[in-house]
Amino acid sequence: MVDVSRVQKELTECNRDREVSGVSIALHDGSTINHLTGTIAGPLGTPYEGGTFVIDIRLPGGYPFEPPKMQFITKVWHPNISSQNGAICLDILKDQWSPALTLKTALLSLQALLSAPAPDDPQDAVVAQQYLRDYSTFSATARYWTEAFAKSTSTGMEEKVQKLVEMGFPEDMVRSVLKSVNGDENMALEKLCSG
Amino acid sequence: MASEDGSGGNSPGQAAPAPPEWNPAPAAGSGCGDVEEDPQFQCCVCLDLLYKPVVIACGHMSCFWCVHKAMHVIRESHCAVCRQPYKHFPSICQLLHHLLIKLEPVEYKRREKEVLEDEKRVDTYSPQIIEFLNFRSNNCEIDGENRPEESNSQSSAEHLKKVKLEDVSCALCKELLYQPAVLNCGHVYCMSCLSSLDDGALECKVCGGLHPGDVPNVCLDLDHFIEEYFPVEYDLKREKIQLLKGECNIKGSSSGTSSTKEGGGRASKKENFALKDDDLSDVHIGVGCDSCGVYPIRGKRYRCKDCTELIGFDLCEECYNTKSKLPGRFNQHHTPDHRMELDNSALLHRIMRLQGIHEEGPGGVIIGEFVAPGAVVHVIPDDLEELEDMGEEDQLL
Repeated sequence: MVDVSRVQKELTECNRDREVSGVSIALHDGSTINHLTGTIAGPLGTPYEGGTFVIDIRLPGGYPFEPPKMQFITKVWHPNISSQNGAICLDILKDQWSPALTLKTALLSLQALLSAPAPDDPQDAVVAQQYLRDYSTFSATARYWTEAFAKSTSTGMEEKVQKLVEMGFPEDMVRSVLKSVNGDENMALEKLCSG
Repeated sequence: MASEDGSGGNSPGQAAPAPPEWNPAPAAGSGCGDVEEDPQFQCCVCLDLLYKPVVIACGHMSCFWCVHKAMHVIRESHCAVCRQPYKHFPSICQLLHHLLIKLEPVEYKRREKEVLEDEKRVDTYSPQIIEFLNFRSNNCEIDGENRPEESNSQSSAEHLKKVKLEDVSCALCKELLYQPAVLNCGHVYCMSCLSSLDDGALECKVCGGLHPGDVPNVCLDLDHFIEEYFPVEYDLKREKIQLLKGECNIKGSSSGTSSTKEGGGRASKKENFALKDDDLSDVHIGVGCDSCGVYPIRGKRYRCKDCTELIGFDLCEECYNTKSKLPGRFNQHHTPDHRMELDNSALLHRIMRLQGIHEEGPGGVIIGEFVAPGAVVHVIPDDLEELEDMGEEDQLL
């Protein structure tokens, strides 16, 4: 069984300084604490700058004694992140996990991973090859992906949330529905109305 | 907490009723705020106030259950903070336990209640702390005094009254602890006092327990607390120790070399242990020694035939031969006249046996528990019949 009180503390702690750290966590759909959604801001001075990356977080029953399962929902061009499904190659999410790490530190590690790719231990071989052989193309592609996938949905996201909340829907639900339809306001409204 | 769901039933349906049960704790507000203001004694694993603190050889501490659940059931474990490897589950540090009772009486009581509820669910209990040398009577008084004034906003002046010098004194020199280090048995010494203990084996002067491995590191959290809490006395002690050190150095710098010698001597005993690490056939998965705390036991394992507790009572070969009279690590009611038997079913045999049982049915439960890291995995197939007979017996309180 997941240690509920610890996860609650983690959420409060992480979201307290979300402005500074650039990472935040929310319940995925409000009903279960085992499924969360994290966001990280693309680090400055990298091709990911300006993007907001959404990460799906699932907590196994043994959490925090087992690592959380994390996967990028936002498409990312990065040697250690699958360009197909967002799977992440990071040791602390596997055998190097420690129960003293938290969801926040894990997300911060992902942010660090964006800043410092490890192409020698790739998740996506194609991206890693490109990173090693033709860095400028890699950089351009990564920047293009950031523009295309990590910004379109996030620009105005807060405004969309605000708008739907004002219509009387609970904020948690609005956020998760918006996420599930990739930020499409009309589809979200339709979904919210249909229940 | 992770253990009782070893049945694999982690369905969302089960998870749903949990939050209402847990929510009141953070909502109790002021109490929680207290912990955040003073994260000094926060457990790095449960992120709550330390409860029944255990200090690992590297000097980092966690709650009893947090350490136990974080330990690896097959291989050596690594500290959650610094990743230093360790093989022994240390005993609860009673000095810290009593210190926390005094510092945070209300919060500590809340933790006690919460943990006890969890323990009841898995029917396995952490040790009840009954005796604590000279601290005990002292502590009862103070505990009684503090209960009525349950305000969380006690000033630091009032805090000063709570802890006395003798509450944080060294087991050897009986003076204020300076650079405290905690042995595997949970007793606390100044670092300088530890290095003055005779070389060879590091034996606790209080309980006689042998400390496995090297001299432990300074427990910095405790050290910082003492430095802040008793600044004057701490400075005096520091000067005294440095003076002594200076004298030693003039005599021929013996202290430094002797301590490294000690370390080397003790380490060698365990080195062949490490070499065998790849061969796991002699590992008793998830079974720890109730005397020295080695977890998991490798090689010969002796099991008590008379202890009825779920977690059982086990000894490693060394402790069996030394006829250790220490009580169990999980509040078992083990007595010296209990019969012990050799249990030679190590890893390979065990897996085969588990699979056999799995086909019959009830083994599924065990395998679930068996695999989950951090689960209380002391259940072995042989225990099943005994357990059914036993029923639920309230062993605590």
